[in-house]
Formats: sequence, C-alpha cells, structure tokens
Amino acid sequence: MLVSFDVLARDREGLDILLRTLTTRIAFLTQGGAYPQRDPRFPPPDSGILGPRIPPDGLSVTVALGASLFDDRFGLAPARPRHLERMQGFPNDALDAARCHGDLALQICANTLDTAYHALRDIIKHTPGSLLVRWKQEGNVPLLPPSPGDIDGSARNFLGFRDGTANPSAQDPALMDELIWVDAQRDEPDWAVGGSYMAVRIIRNYVERWDRTPLGEQEAIFGREKMSGAPLSGGVEQDVPDYASDPEGKITPLDAHIRLANPRTPATEKNRILRRPFNYANGVEPNGQLDMGLLFICFQADLQEGFITVQKRLDGEPLEEYIKPVGGGYFFVLPGARDEQDYLGRGLMAATT
Amino acid sequence: MQPLSRWISVSALALMALNAPAQAAVPADALVGPIAEYKLYVLDNLEQLVAHTREFTQAIEQGNLDKAQTLYAPTRVYYERIEPIAEMFADLDASIDAREDDYEHGVKDPDFTGFHRLEYGLFKAQSTQGLAPYAKGLMQDVDDLDQRVQGLTFPPSTVVGGAAALMEEVAATKVSGEEDRYSRSDLWDFQANVDGAQEIFELFKPLAAEEDAGFVKRVQGNFDDVEAILADYRVDPQDPKKGFVSYDKVSDADRRALTGPVNVLAEDLSTLRGLLGLN
Repeated sequence: MLVSFDVLARDREGLDILLRTLTTRIAFLTQGGAYPQRDPRFPPPDSGILGPRIPPDGLSVTVALGASLFDDRFGLAPARPRHLERMQGFPNDALDAARCHGDLALQICANTLDTAYHALRDIIKHTPGSLLVRWKQEGNVPLLPPSPGDIDGSARNFLGFRDGTANPSAQDPALMDELIWVDAQRDEPDWAVGGSYMAVRIIRNYVERWDRTPLGEQEAIFGREKMSGAPLSGGVEQDVPDYASDPEGKITPLDAHIRLANPRTPATEKNRILRRPFNYANGVEPNGQLDMGLLFICFQADLQEGFITVQKRLDGEPLEEYIKPVGGGYFFVLPGARDEQDYLGRGLMAATT
Repeated sequence: MQPLSRWISVSALALMALNAPAQAAVPADALVGPIAEYKLYVLDNLEQLVAHTREFTQAIEQGNLDKAQTLYAPTRVYYERIEPIAEMFADLDASIDAREDDYEHGVKDPDFTGFHRLEYGLFKAQSTQGLAPYAKGLMQDVDDLDQRVQGLTFPPSTVVGGAAALMEEVAATKVSGEEDRYSRSDLWDFQANVDGAQEIFELFKPLAAEEDAGFVKRVQGNFDDVEAILADYRVDPQDPKKGFVSYDKVSDADRRALTGPVNVLAEDLSTLRGLLGLN
C-alpha cells in the first residue's frame, strides 16, 4: 500500500516531532507487541483490528519525502536531493491531481492487507496535527499456488504477464549499492547517503480490451511468452533475451516492452531499476469497465538515470494502447535509523539547522 | 510552552495517559451545574433559531431572493452550534439539515428538504420559485425541535461528548467545503461548530483541569489557533455579525492549516468523557 500525505506541521519543530513520532510508531509496529491498557471510558489506544497482540506479520514501512517538502516551509531547500523533482506527465499519462505527488509518502507492506491498514490507522492516530492523507493506493502481489503445467515464476500482473523477471537481485549487495542506494560517490547531500529515489505510478490497465487482443499480439507487445514468461528469443523465464542475433526485431519486436525498458546493452546497464509492482483493483468506471491496474513502485540511486530514462524509452510503445498512468509521484526514501537514539530524517534536519 | 509543540505533541502526551490508572468518576452532582448551564445555552440558541428561521422562511415565501440569500448563513449558525442536542432527534435532523449526498437521487429526491434544499434553490437555481413548501416545512420542523428540546433531560455523556462530536463534524464536512457547496458559507457553520464545542469545553473546563491541567491548556491553545485563522476570513473583524467571506476564498494552505488543529481537537476532545469518568 502506498499512502501519500500533506505535512501539516507548521515549522521545523513540528516536522522534527513528526519524524520522531513516525520512527517510534514504525519501530513498535514492525516489531509487534501489545498496546498499554486504558480505562474503558477513554477511546482505546488501538483500533483493535488485529486483536490484542500485534503480530509483526512481515510489516515494513518505507518513509519517503516529496519535492514539495523542500519548499520554504521548513528550510530544507538547500538539502534537497539533487534529482528530486515534481513528477511531470509523460505523453501517455492522464494524471489525476487527486492521486499525485505529496509531501511525504509511506510504502506500507505486510503479509496481509489488514496489517497494513492497522499500521496506517495507528500512524494517523498519532499524527493528527501533522499529517493529512492526500491519497492512497492499495495493491497486492498475487500468491499463486503452484499448479501442474505452470512453472513457479514471478507473480503475474493484471494483464496476465509475469512481472519483475529482469529485476536486479536484491540478494546482491554490490549490485544494490551500484544501482539502488545513494552512496558518497554520487553528487548528493551527505545526509542522503543510504537513501534511494522512489518513483510511484498508478497505471490503469484496460483489461477488457486487453482480453479481446490476440495472444500473439499480447506476447509481441511484451516480448515474452504469456504463460511461461520466457523471452520470445527462447529458453525459460530467467534467461536473458537474445537481441544481438535479432537486430531487426523479427523475433522480439524492437518496440516490445521488455526490449525498450531494458535493451541489455552495456550503455543501458546503469538505467536498471528495482521494481516492486503491485496489482490493484479499485472499483468500476462509469462505462462499466473495471478500474484495475498496476501500482508500480521502483527504486534507484539516480531518478534521472533510472525511472525517467526508462520511461522515456517506453514513450510511444504499443502497450500504451492498453494502459494509462493516472497518478503517482517522485519521492526520496530516507536513510534508515541506525540505532535506538537515531530517527528517520535526523540527518536531513541536522544538515539544515 | 511554544504554541506549536502544544499543537503537535498530542501523541506523546496521549501515550503517557495510557498508563494512567482507571479514572475516578467526577461526582454526579458536580455535573449538575454545567449541564443546567448548557441547557440554557441550547434554549437560548433555539429561541434565536426559531426567530431567524421565521424571518428567513418568510423572505422565501415572499419571493425576496436577496433577503433570503442574505439570511441563509446567519440562520443556520444557531442550529450548527447545538447539533449535539439537535441530532438526538434523527428524524428532524434529516429533514432540517441533510445534504443531497444523503439521498440516492440527490437534489431530485423527494425526501431532500430543509436548509440545504433551500440552499440549492436560492444559490444554484438563484430563485425562490417552488421553494415555499420547503420553507414552510423547515419552519414546522424547527418549531417541533424547539418543543421537543424544552422538555428534554440532557444526558451528561451526550453533552460532554458533544464537544468532540462537533469537531468531528468540522473535520468531516467543513474543512472539505462540502457542507454549503452552493452558498459557500461554510465558514459560518465552521465557526458555529467551534463555538458549540468551546461552550461545552468552557463549562466543563474546571472539572477537567482538576484531572489534567495540561490537557485543558492544550485544548484551549488549539481552540485559539482555530479562532485565529477563522478571524482572518471575517468580512469585518470589528463586526462579527457580518460573518465570513466565501469558502472559495480560503487558500489551500489555510485549509491545511485549519485541518491540523481541528484534527488534534477532535483527538483530544474524544478523551473528555473519559477524563470526567463518564460512561
């Protein structure tokens, strides 16, 4: 789940209290435990939706800041991460202002949606004067039980294709340092080291129309076999597609989604991003079509080299006929808290005193 | 304490309260005085509501559009102040103050009556045409409300809980500007809800202060903050009767600035019943 907020705090002191409160709440929620008891004539300290004892349930909360927080309210402008900007619409976008941008975003992930809702409600209850929800988008990664004839691969998106196959491995720390985390070699403020850029996109899928599209065309649009996830050049899902022996795109079209997104050339290696795609379903459009699609979240050490460059390569791709980005924003993920005394955003606050 | 830290630090303070021992109930006879005073406040506002509604509905029946438009916002104020009591009569609250969103068929719904039906006619259609039956109905409902409240015993928990209920009203429908979408007189209602909440808070403040002086100070400070922002939007700061500018004129920054203290007040006042040991 991705939740974007307006920050209501009116000065640095208020912002500092907010960041400390967020850190405290996240520390409690991710470890789980019991809330203190309270006289029943008071409102209960907890929503109670997870019962008396809060299980961690795989909860993680990622705190990220939008470019608007670096305006003149809190004196943060001199410390703004260099590539942090307000998301501009791409040619195929139809951005809905009510689902864009924000001062602060939380990516809340857990094994079950209820755990994420519980965390969100706890955070809202503890920050009434300083945070106001601007928009939110739930999403989930489908758990597909292995079935005969279907190999165990990446989860499928709502277009039925496996998504995330070519992700750089999060198990490879050196690769993560190179592509995802801001380090001292990057030309960024010192406080930003250990952070990362987060691009969020709410991408509506026109699923009825997609379901009326020939399978062969669907596969050509993506550049993969739909069921196995294997590249059209052959092999299995995890095999690297072979573009070198197909320069004219006779096997994998030159404008196939995966070929544009990651051309697999030495020059484009640095554009790789860590994707966290979630499927969402919101309801029904006035025309009776389902409002469903992809909550696309990706991380990179350089927003320009990462998402923005990749999306520019994708501009005009045949897939655009079936998708419509309607919301999202760019954020900078705060470096983690190092110990009990540290708090999220401490470095940023200290850098701007 | 700086105004801001008081405003923001509610969660830390609320957590401290978690470990407090069970709250001793304030002796019942200590509540008698404030409740009686609150009833006088409600009856006084009701008297005003009846008088103003009469003038307002007569203007409509006489086809005087300008006058009816002018009287719409100042008449509602007396209802919005006493909502915790008025809402005890769900049938009248619906026919007096429901909004079109409360009905499946919106403005065309035959059950949609009262202030907001008249608002739609006066400010959207810009006419008193066809409004006379609604005006007549509103007057009857307001008279009915007046009658029912005269004989009502005020439940302490409803009165004390009313302060929080009014702030919930503000947080849910006033800040977003959906209450008076055609007249844009939302700030009048906003102020009236805050007035009503403050009245309750003031009456029980001495009792609350005995339990938690910091709470009283914090709530008072947040009321002051809200009042200060609202004051910026008065037509004439010297003359409260002139009311407020259109809600369209309130900047996004100020809407956000209002949301902060309003939400903290809703959160804080939600503990007032507990603080006084009321069930």
